[in-house]
Amino acid sequence: MRAVAACLALVALGAHAGELPFTRTESREPCARYDPLRQPFFGDTHVHTAFSFDAWGQGTLAAPRDAYRFARGEAIGIQPYDADGRARAQIQLRRPLDFAAVTDHSDLLGETQICQNPALPGYGSLVCRVVRRFPKLGYALVNGYVYSSEHPTRYSFCGEDGAGCRDAGRGPWREIQDAAEAYYDRSAACRLTTFVGYEWTGMPAGDNLHRNVIFRNAVAQAYPTTYIETPTPEGLWRALESECLGARNGCDVLAIPHNSNVSNGRMFTATRSDGAPLTADDARERARLETLVEVTQHKGDSECRAGAQDELCNYEKLTMARMMDMAGTGPAAPLPPNIYVREALGLGLVLGQQLGANPFRLGLIGSTDTHLAAPGMVDEDQFRGHAAGTVSVRWGVPPYPDRPDFNPGGLAVLWAEENSRDALFEAMRRREAYGTSGPRITVRLFGGWTYPDDLCGDAAFAAKGYAGGVPMGGDLPPAPGGAGAPKLAVWALRDPGGSGAPSAPLQRIQIVKGWAEHGESRERVYDVAGDPASGGDLDLATCTPAPGADQLCRVWTDPDFDAAAPAFYYARVVEIPSCRWNTWACNAHHVDCASPDSVPRELATCCDARVPRSIQERAWTSPIWYTPRQP
Amino acid sequence: MSARSTGWLLFAVFALAVPFPALGPFGGFVPAVHHVALFAATLAVAVVEGTAGPVLQILALFAVHALATLALCALAAWLGARALKPLSPRARAAIAGALCAALLAAAIAFPLYETPFGRQPTANLFGVFG
Repeated sequence: MRAVAACLALVALGAHAGELPFTRTESREPCARYDPLRQPFFGDTHVHTAFSFDAWGQGTLAAPRDAYRFARGEAIGIQPYDADGRARAQIQLRRPLDFAAVTDHSDLLGETQICQNPALPGYGSLVCRVVRRFPKLGYALVNGYVYSSEHPTRYSFCGEDGAGCRDAGRGPWREIQDAAEAYYDRSAACRLTTFVGYEWTGMPAGDNLHRNVIFRNAVAQAYPTTYIETPTPEGLWRALESECLGARNGCDVLAIPHNSNVSNGRMFTATRSDGAPLTADDARERARLETLVEVTQHKGDSECRAGAQDELCNYEKLTMARMMDMAGTGPAAPLPPNIYVREALGLGLVLGQQLGANPFRLGLIGSTDTHLAAPGMVDEDQFRGHAAGTVSVRWGVPPYPDRPDFNPGGLAVLWAEENSRDALFEAMRRREAYGTSGPRITVRLFGGWTYPDDLCGDAAFAAKGYAGGVPMGGDLPPAPGGAGAPKLAVWALRDPGGSGAPSAPLQRIQIVKGWAEHGESRERVYDVAGDPASGGDLDLATCTPAPGADQLCRVWTDPDFDAAAPAFYYARVVEIPSCRWNTWACNAHHVDCASPDSVPRELATCCDARVPRSIQERAWTSPIWYTPRQP
Repeated sequence: MSARSTGWLLFAVFALAVPFPALGPFGGFVPAVHHVALFAATLAVAVVEGTAGPVLQILALFAVHALATLALCALAAWLGARALKPLSPRARAAIAGALCAALLAAAIAFPLYETPFGRQPTANLFGVFG
């Protein structure tokens, strides 16, 4: 029997072994679970460990290998640690991830090692002494000194030209790669895919320009690019071109910007860092290297601007425009334009008309930005905090685990044939990806011109979706003769939950359309499936969700289509209201706001009426673009 | 003990042991001397490594805290010494000594302090400076 099964498996594998739709760049077994119509894989591409200065400064001792153990479902220890270095708290994912990338900060990689290791020169330096004696002060001083300076430099203990710190960083960079290799499942089981990566941490004047750099396979840069030595995004892209893509050694790479919401409008601009206008070549280079953007994570939602035009944009919003302002207590400054992804997508259409190339062809994903080495820990009732912000976790996660405006972050979802590096990386490159705010919602989105209205009931939905158009992340093909407006086929399935994970049904699907008109971008949101009024009866005491839909589907035709206007369309799938993390935390500690004297000081925020107690979790697909034919 | 010596003694003990709030983004309750230590550490880093990033703002924050808390200690010590001035030197020394001893004992026996820049969330006097 076992032999028959093995033969059948070999036949099945053989059926796709010779005709892979993606390029295999590494040596590995094909995955037993293979689907030419692609499957959704859930992961996290933004993970920090003790190799990141800000994580270590907050007491995190878990290393990249711990992060990968956590991603595949094992328990790991977190702070606080006892005198012997044993963790006194444990965390564990309810549902393992399919993929993960440790992305420690490339900046301060060596400095972190030097300040920890008495054997390294520089351990006794003034800065390292201050860091060890006053960790939180050291965190504020060193992070600010390096990351938020317009002209970053290395500390004097790094030696001539910073060579000492770069040398000290080679060890952790090697270990990051070795850990990714050790935990990458190259067997046919394909349990976990890991990616080598790092975070370029540029934050000039406190304006966030961070990028996560993800390598396709085991071939990576000899040393990760740093903001200190390479202080502009253009410099980062040049480095990736020359040290990876142009190295002709099999290296391939993408950069994923995040937290445009605290970039002060500098993440998405029509100019280069030196103020010169973007050229078509600039736009093409950026679009080639930056195919995805992280739309949600611990430090807020970056999708769209809260306001009257789209009430669902008022979701996990930070009120400050600069990363540096997070530490402040003063009134929030007005938010500048182009700090949100939807605005960037619109600006991209306008620039595309002007330049002939759209620099902001961005697919959407979510991730966490965990500094506890805890990828994918996104369940609202399990939130343990960002662990690198203004709330200290050195002595253990407090009962109210973070600032009220932070959140557990989200997940990246990739549609790929199998769970391998090449298949997933190509999904990232073609933007067949979406983000969720945490739940494992499944979403398909196809764009075409001739989808039948009854496609939703068709068992061959995906096959016909691919055959008749393009999936999320693609460009609408030219309209066939006689075609009117584009049709979008969107299907969503609720998070099934399981393993104790809270889950809620769906409320509705929306299509978000943006288009360019007279040199300006416009946007409109359409409810296309579901009932916006459903789910209003959330019980905050028990966090039991109200009824909703298990799945939703619709073939939608754009009623306002203008064939002369370039446009993008993406789907937003919204759950019914469910408890936000603070409600879970406050309920767990039996906070009774009716008797304020009984509320412990560390849980006082539980009774702050300004903090929302429920949310509508969601998924955002990558857009599908429409470009008018040239006359 | 002279009135002047009494004032200095009270000032030193107040600065060493009375917890003052740390305002701004960091929070906590620490003695004036700790505020001075934070200022000194930041100043040393600024002198040696420069003032890139938020170093000057942090330095200013600690300078304000150090000056304000030392001024409050000085005021309290001056008022205390003035109140004790009519007493005999021996009585003055006894009362001032008892007050200081009680304050130091409480600071050692109880975790009066929250140390946002230290290695433990709450601490007694030794924990703050240990």
